[in-house]
Amino acid sequence: MLFNSIDFAIFLPIVFILYWYVTKRSLSLQNLLIVCSSYLFYAWWDYRFLGLIILSTVADYLVAKYIQKAKDKKIKKTLLLVSLIFNLGLLAFFKYFNFFIESWVEAWQFFGFTMQTSTLSIILPVGISFYTFQTLSYTIDVYREKIEPTSNFIQFAAFVSFFPQLVAGPIERASHLLPQFSEKRVFNSEFAISGFYLIIWGLFKKVVVADNCAFFVNQIFDGATSYSSMELFLGAVLFAFQIYGDFSGYSDIAIGVSRLFGFSLMTNFSFPYFSRDIAEFWRRWHISLSTWFRDYLYIPLGGSLGTDWHRIRNVFIVFLVSGFWHGANWTFIIWGAIHAILFLPLLLLKSNRKHLEFTKIRLQQIPMLIVTFTLVTFAWIFFRADTVSIAYQFIIDIFSFKGSSVSVFIKSSKMILFSSVIVLSILTLLLFEFLSVQDNKKEVTLNRYSAIFIALLICFMGVFKNPSDFIYFQF
Amino acid sequence: MRLFLKRIGFVLLLFFSISMCVAVGSLWSLRQSSFYKPSFLVNSVQDKEFDYIILGSSTGLTTLNTQVIDSVLDIDGINLSMDNTALSSQYLMLQHFLAQGKKTKYCVLAPSAVSFDAKNKDISDNDYRFLPYASVDYIHRYYSSFSSQPAQLLSYSKWFPVLGVSYFNTELFYPSIFSFFQPEKRNRFDAKGNYTYPLKNNEDIAITTFKALPVFFENKFVKKINDLCVKNKIQLICYFSPIKGRQVIAESANYTIINHSDLLTNNTLFYDVIHVNTNGRQVASESFARNLKSLWK
Repeated sequence: MLFNSIDFAIFLPIVFILYWYVTKRSLSLQNLLIVCSSYLFYAWWDYRFLGLIILSTVADYLVAKYIQKAKDKKIKKTLLLVSLIFNLGLLAFFKYFNFFIESWVEAWQFFGFTMQTSTLSIILPVGISFYTFQTLSYTIDVYREKIEPTSNFIQFAAFVSFFPQLVAGPIERASHLLPQFSEKRVFNSEFAISGFYLIIWGLFKKVVVADNCAFFVNQIFDGATSYSSMELFLGAVLFAFQIYGDFSGYSDIAIGVSRLFGFSLMTNFSFPYFSRDIAEFWRRWHISLSTWFRDYLYIPLGGSLGTDWHRIRNVFIVFLVSGFWHGANWTFIIWGAIHAILFLPLLLLKSNRKHLEFTKIRLQQIPMLIVTFTLVTFAWIFFRADTVSIAYQFIIDIFSFKGSSVSVFIKSSKMILFSSVIVLSILTLLLFEFLSVQDNKKEVTLNRYSAIFIALLICFMGVFKNPSDFIYFQF
Repeated sequence: MRLFLKRIGFVLLLFFSISMCVAVGSLWSLRQSSFYKPSFLVNSVQDKEFDYIILGSSTGLTTLNTQVIDSVLDIDGINLSMDNTALSSQYLMLQHFLAQGKKTKYCVLAPSAVSFDAKNKDISDNDYRFLPYASVDYIHRYYSSFSSQPAQLLSYSKWFPVLGVSYFNTELFYPSIFSFFQPEKRNRFDAKGNYTYPLKNNEDIAITTFKALPVFFENKFVKKINDLCVKNKIQLICYFSPIKGRQVIAESANYTIINHSDLLTNNTLFYDVIHVNTNGRQVASESFARNLKSLWK
């Protein structure tokens, strides 16, 4: 079920009414309602993969319990390994099996050997990368004795399958979200209203900004060789806004919907295109994933301790794994590597923690914002392109200065119209975000009138007829 | 909860009121304009009586030039074809034409050949163009007769125009802004309702072989259109436009047929497989005028 669908517009109020009016008196019933509605939400897409979520839930629930019960450190470690192998095994099979087979064959072909293999036609279960990371964090934290395992299976099942963030995050930590399922929920109007406004803002980002940008982005990336350098560059810029609007829009809606049910989810995006360097960008972009990798990969590897060589190695591992997490394609790995390369100078010069606090943007910092945005945009080309060679050619064509024509954006009245809508929507996005940054806010906070204004923009500028799927569903 | 409901209620109510006003205004603007064929027919076509009208999809729109036909036969016709439409839409257009109190002697039905046998299970891509008249009974009934989501949205637009205007915002909302300032602007058709595909540098190749394409008139809307024509004393002509390398085999005791499917025998006269270019249109229109003249007698 998509957040921007009529199905969801019917589903949400029904669950809301049942939650606050029918099951209000019993916490267990409320949690059970969340589990049932979450499973329905997921089954709407493909009920066959519901078993996978239930399997993952049961496995990690039991493993965590046995980890706590076990006295011997070795047994605890073995149990953790079981959880890791199980979760990462699922991910490896559904997401990476074909990639590994194809890469294996290509590697042998490189050395002149031909191999006969066959790939499997595997459907990637939506959200698998998100919920496996969420359950993994639970068992790891139980192993590290950071949290106690829950003895309530329904609460745990609700934590794993919580529908607002089930298929595209934010990837929540058990220490943050799980306790909320055991607390009595009292309806907080202000909190729920802020959630409602955040849903409107998220829909704007998705339906207006991202889906309108997709119109040109798809054209330009699908036929890159026939466009001028300027058109290619602008196509890459539009993709930067498309992926931001798409993914952060989803996160905003997820956080907003959660608030309607009395849950607080972590901030996942904090105005990333107002970053002054790459390090700051990664503190603002997909925060739930980057902090996951920080806590469960970077720090266990040694973090920024040790020699320069160790630090370089750790940074590369984290960025490459992060790229690979996004998809089974070399383009994502290269994308991760580019970010590692961009991050390294800051790390080595010890200026990666320069903008730790999200402070106001000063006029003289604007060039830094532009440089960071441009670097990020060029890296996005690898993220969007189908193959590494296409991305490489795309960048070569930008720098070959083959014309400054922008005819794709103005060749007919329809194109001019779309271009105008895109410019207007991006300016609106940037204006609201800039004002929020200057107010030291963590998210865009609308009031009732700005909410109505944004809702009107969604209504008359949104893409409803041929909406694009959320990009991060494929991860 | 009360504060939440009050605040949300206020936001939704104000949003709903404003968006409804905008949508109503948008449809009003389109109703005053000549942007799409349904409002063009109402606002820019002053004549009440015609010798013939052409109803069709892109083939009818781009093959038969009413200006050529009228000048050859010294008669008065109009092209009411709309691209990307099925026979169901042409039936609706005929109803719309008659509802304006207009009359015609002949109705030339000129969709693509396959449309005569297709099953119209859903609304056509461009049926939203009738939305400014959604409250009119026959148009609302038409939208309601389909079960798809877009059709249902168009149907409910009778009471909540914001649904249709928002869903088809690119096609309705933005043009309505243009139309407000330029009500006489037409969406890619001339004052007689015609449009032409440009010349392309096609290779000069003679078309010598024509593959048979049988047509059985199984689409129920052919009969519906015919019944409506009979009721209004209009003679129906089923027209098959030129198709590159195909010959329509169509025989019917019930309908008068003009078959031009194999009329054009050179590649340079086509825009693509089923559409002619400006030169092809000229040849087809002149030939059609001759055919019509013989029927006239």
